[in-house]
Amino acid sequence: MNRTPDTPGPMLSTRDVTVGYDERTVLDGLDVDLPTDAFTVIVGPNACGKSTLLRTMARLLTPRRGTVLLDGTAIRDLPTREVARRLGVLPQSPLVPEGVTVADLVGRGRQPYQRWWRQWSEQDSAAVDRAMAQADVAGLADRPVDTLSGGQRQRVWIAMTLAQDTEALLLDEPTTFLDLAHQVEVLDLLHRLRAERGRTVVAVLHDLNQAARYADHLIAMREGGVVAAGPPREILTADLVRDVFGLDCVVVPCPVTGAPLVVPGLTSPSLARPTAPAARPSVADADLPRVDSYPSKGI
Amino acid sequence: MTAVDSSRPAYAGLPGRSLLRLGPVSVQVRRRAVLVAAVTAVLLAAAVVLSLSLGTPYVAPADVLRSLSGAGTPYDLVVRDLRLPRIVLAATAGAAFGVAGTLIQSVARNPLASPDVIGITQGAGLAATVAITTGAAAVLVAPAALLGGLAAALLLLALGARHGLAAQRFVLAGVAVAFALRALTEVVMLSADPIDGLRAQIWLIGTLAGRGWSETAWIALTLAVLLPVLAWAGWALNGAALDDDTARGIGLRPVARRVGLAVTGVVLAATVTAQVGAVDFVALVAPQVARRLVRAERPPLVCAALVGALLLVLADLVGRRLFAPTQLPAGVLTAAIGGPYLMLLLVRRRRRRSA
Repeated sequence: MNRTPDTPGPMLSTRDVTVGYDERTVLDGLDVDLPTDAFTVIVGPNACGKSTLLRTMARLLTPRRGTVLLDGTAIRDLPTREVARRLGVLPQSPLVPEGVTVADLVGRGRQPYQRWWRQWSEQDSAAVDRAMAQADVAGLADRPVDTLSGGQRQRVWIAMTLAQDTEALLLDEPTTFLDLAHQVEVLDLLHRLRAERGRTVVAVLHDLNQAARYADHLIAMREGGVVAAGPPREILTADLVRDVFGLDCVVVPCPVTGAPLVVPGLTSPSLARPTAPAARPSVADADLPRVDSYPSKGI
Repeated sequence: MTAVDSSRPAYAGLPGRSLLRLGPVSVQVRRRAVLVAAVTAVLLAAAVVLSLSLGTPYVAPADVLRSLSGAGTPYDLVVRDLRLPRIVLAATAGAAFGVAGTLIQSVARNPLASPDVIGITQGAGLAATVAITTGAAAVLVAPAALLGGLAAALLLLALGARHGLAAQRFVLAGVAVAFALRALTEVVMLSADPIDGLRAQIWLIGTLAGRGWSETAWIALTLAVLLPVLAWAGWALNGAALDDDTARGIGLRPVARRVGLAVTGVVLAATVTAQVGAVDFVALVAPQVARRLVRAERPPLVCAALVGALLLVLADLVGRRLFAPTQLPAGVLTAAIGGPYLMLLLVRRRRRRSA
């Protein structure tokens, strides 16, 4: 939105970034580039520093050493309000103010455009309406947020960051604590934002298969470093999963999307039960369904 | 995807709000808050007239109004000179308590935080007790109390600052400060002359008896000086309920904002407490009552101020009349009214939640 189409290079990147809490160093001299207009997903085992990386790029954490660059400018040199007009952030478990309504909370996303003497404008109204429509929460506008389900609530928070009208959106584990249907709902929304609105979306996810399904660009981290980065279909292999998570697995094409699907290997022989109903095949000679035998739409 | 509701006008603002515009200035106002403020203001005016009218001698409300208008009535001495100063002080102090309580509760993110929970009142109380029991001149009690309240506030900010004045730290540090100061006050009082101890005790409860214009002037002056800050605070309170990461994400500086709101709140609380003594509960209850009336996630400052003023005027009136000619200090009444009302609100709320 603020960018000209011919701006070269990645929108967000880190150069030699070192971050730590007290004595512990979490990220050590990290160089990461996030491609523009892509859905980037950061994966890795617990405590690998993936949330720390996201929070550092969102300027919620200040690195001990190194620089986060936003369109080539050090983010720490930019006023925080200006950054908030270019970068939306959804923290891991944001606190819902008691009794706040959906429209009210989404309206908070307009903060970077407001002053105490100029508290609302036509653009603010338009942006809030647009954001609520995009996140499909317009029908909930007058409801108190603390009465909504987890999935609805997460869409409201995403609407708040959308109201910021930023070109990029950073989300820290947006699907944690949601059931599978709501996880898919949130990820579909993020996918649409990328595909239909051309936003740059960056998310930390736990589920490798969801990451492979939705990401244009995958960053796999371990112990504060990046192990691999690239399109999931190119980099997500059994070797990578073993390397990153220490888990043996089989990677097969997803029957629905064709994206890599990670199936953990046989960790205990007793799991491979010969099943009683003859209809179910045994794991050993798994007759995996062919991709084209599944409908590719309507999921 | 839902289509944008075209029935909403282009600059509707948020639901339930209206936009006040004046040139480049635009301010959002909750329509319900305007209603609450108007109704509370009418009730406050009625309470003031009632309070001016009741007592010995009784003055008919019509005569009260005539006397106030400067028509010159035989009741001028009673109405204008004896009762009015004290009632205006009650309204001013109540309003300031309401505002201070709103600010402190928002920083503490706790509806039970108030100047007397976080040690401001106790700091003022200790200093006032020392001043009274050491035989300092009466005019020095208020300045001493102000310094004591501010010193307690400094201690509190210093204890909480290392953690960016995070809500829980702020409250815990406050409770610790309050207990320590209260213990010290007890020590001073017990080792003092019993008569002085009793005077200190009355100060600690808080009363408006024998107080008037000069106390009002100090509080009003502080409010006037803080007015630009309060205009900012009314807006800044919007973001105060968000957690720090979310607040930073939308371009706020949560720590600076909290410090600004906390300093404003404690300065105001210390000023009022120094002038009227430790009147409890108004700062605690007024913001919560206003919040529930407005049905918002936080009370607008104006509504909290009006509710605080109404509460203290009524408490003072009831204290004067309930056991007349014996007068109860307003502080006793605010506690007696405020405590049960807050409990009622909590019970009602829990019932609604579980329903």
